[in-house]
Amino acid sequence: MSTAVRQDPPGAALDASAHAAVTIDRPADDLRTLWLDPRTQARIWAHFADVTARDDGTADWIARGPAGGQYRWRTKIMATSPDDIRWASLDGADVPNTGALALRPAPGDRGTELHLDVRFDPPGGIIGKAASKLFHIVPGEIVRKALYQFRALALTGEIPTTDPQPAARQGGADR
Amino acid sequence: MRALCWNGVNDLRVETVADPEILNPQDVILKVRLTTTCGSDLHLIDGLIPTMREGDVLGHEFMGEIVDVGRDVTKVKRGDRVVVPSFIACGKCWYCAHDLYSLCDTSHPKPELQEPLLGYPTAGIYAYSHAFGGYAGSHAEYVRVPFADTDCFVVPDGLPDEDALFISDAAPTGFMGADFCNIQRGDVIAVWGCGGVGLMAQQSAMILGAERVIAINQYPERLAQAEAFGATPLDFTKVDVVEALRELTGGRGPDACIDAVGMEADGTGTQHAYDRIKQALYIETDRGAALRQAMLAVRKGGTLSILGVYGVLDKFPLGLLMNKGVTVRTAQQHGQAYVPRLLDHALRGELTPAALATHRFSLEDSPAGYRMFKHKEDGCLRAVFAP
Ligand SMILES: NC(=O)c1ccc[n+]([C@@H]2O[C@H](COP(=O)([O-])OP(=O)(O)OC[C@H]3O[C@@H](n4cnc5c(N)ncnc54)[C@H](O)[C@@H]3O)[C@@H](O)[C@H]2O)c1
Ligand SMILES: [Zn+2]
Ligand SMILES: [Zn+2]
Repeated sequence: MSTAVRQDPPGAALDASAHAAVTIDRPADDLRTLWLDPRTQARIWAHFADVTARDDGTADWIARGPAGGQYRWRTKIMATSPDDIRWASLDGADVPNTGALALRPAPGDRGTELHLDVRFDPPGGIIGKAASKLFHIVPGEIVRKALYQFRALALTGEIPTTDPQPAARQGGADR
Repeated sequence: MRALCWNGVNDLRVETVADPEILNPQDVILKVRLTTTCGSDLHLIDGLIPTMREGDVLGHEFMGEIVDVGRDVTKVKRGDRVVVPSFIACGKCWYCAHDLYSLCDTSHPKPELQEPLLGYPTAGIYAYSHAFGGYAGSHAEYVRVPFADTDCFVVPDGLPDEDALFISDAAPTGFMGADFCNIQRGDVIAVWGCGGVGLMAQQSAMILGAERVIAINQYPERLAQAEAFGATPLDFTKVDVVEALRELTGGRGPDACIDAVGMEADGTGTQHAYDRIKQALYIETDRGAALRQAMLAVRKGGTLSILGVYGVLDKFPLGLLMNKGVTVRTAQQHGQAYVPRLLDHALRGELTPAALATHRFSLEDSPAGYRMFKHKEDGCLRAVFAP
């Protein structure tokens, strides 16, 4: 499908949006259920934000910026179908954003493809400041790592970590 | 606990660090019985692998006793004496299911550090820089082992620790390299390098039915060990290797060539001088003398099996491979695919990894052990540490 190869326009729009995909050898239904589990949301975005998700489809996000900055917003799941989950931030978000996860059958016996799209729409106050500078990691990395962690969780039931003992140095000074 | 820490280029110190803890439910903690040096560590110590950080605990080739288990561990238990492959693999992803364990899709805690370099992240590995996961290594009293049911292999009674130890890394790497050669009746296999990996590749090629194995190196004691394993030794400082190989194979060339040398190859002549200067200036990471020679020596339509670790070699005679129709096989070791079979070969005495354990040190003396290993003093093949 041609939509798999997206061509973002150059410039600000590019770093305000991010797309990533992974294939997971599990049925789409199972993956959809796992994604919608509030505990999953808290775990797969942990590299980017503290997420408190609820069964009603809302979630509170506290994203970390460079130099200790924080951005807060609440999202709500706006639409779900067997092959699609869409969410958007509600009024009052520090950094308005939307997200979508598409689930498609992978060819052969490879399971399910997950395509994740996230768009940040910095409001007036921060306009002109590239979205990639807002957070402590760039949008591309936010979505790629979220999917990596989701795949790990779906396949193994855990997310790989060395925290708080990266390479065993005392106190875990990994920053 | 005490552990051997990397503190910069050629700066290793034994320090007191935090004890490892169970972080994930499939983890175990191992009390390390034996842990050893690997040629790959030399690339780290010499500063050729980026993303090492001061304080990183070294060591990825080890065996020990399980002393603590996570709640989801079912197959192995406290008290088991086990050997652990150096790459961490989940046993559940597509790559693990296809025996490509070092490419595991789920064991890398920091894939974002590696993805820009490789396109897709590999498995995590113990003590091999943060781009390879930032896991703490085994040159310590204790080490945390994730995915224990997949990655811990119980050592059969009757197999000594010294044999089991190298079934963590040197033996499965060497065996994989020989397996890549798809050895047929009458095949001649040439192996560059007589370190732990090269020697294990030579023994493995014989187990897999090679007619003749030729071992290329420059250290007499290493060549002697190769000969003791049944290989034909060639000293590259004394003979023209390509010419000698042609002679030894009746003009055909070796059916497969295994590179068990890697990015710090020693050599002779102007290409080597050029490589050395570029590497010293950090213009490029690799000195590729052995690899280039193997490409030239391999017979037409033969196999080049690359086990040596490389960075981003900028001068690579691709035309040799293309015009000669050479098949290239390479990987970081998929140890989990081979360990059970290697334990059997070792029990039957067909594989004798303990021969690599030439020198033993306490953990406190491990910096001296590395110096000895690096400079190949006193015929040191591998320095083994008993924490
Ligand atoms: N693929 C893997 O998973 C894997 C696993 C372990 C080690 N390795 C790599 O394999 C390589 C060998 O590891 P090792 O532990 O045996 O290292 P080692 O340092 O003990 O041995 C390397 C040997 O290569 C020899 N050598 C140097 N230049 C040569 C040349 N031009 N021709 C022939 N021999 C030459 C050295 O004398 C030495 O005996 C290293 O690059 C290491 O990083 C790869
Ligand atoms: Zn190694
Ligand atoms: Zn895996």
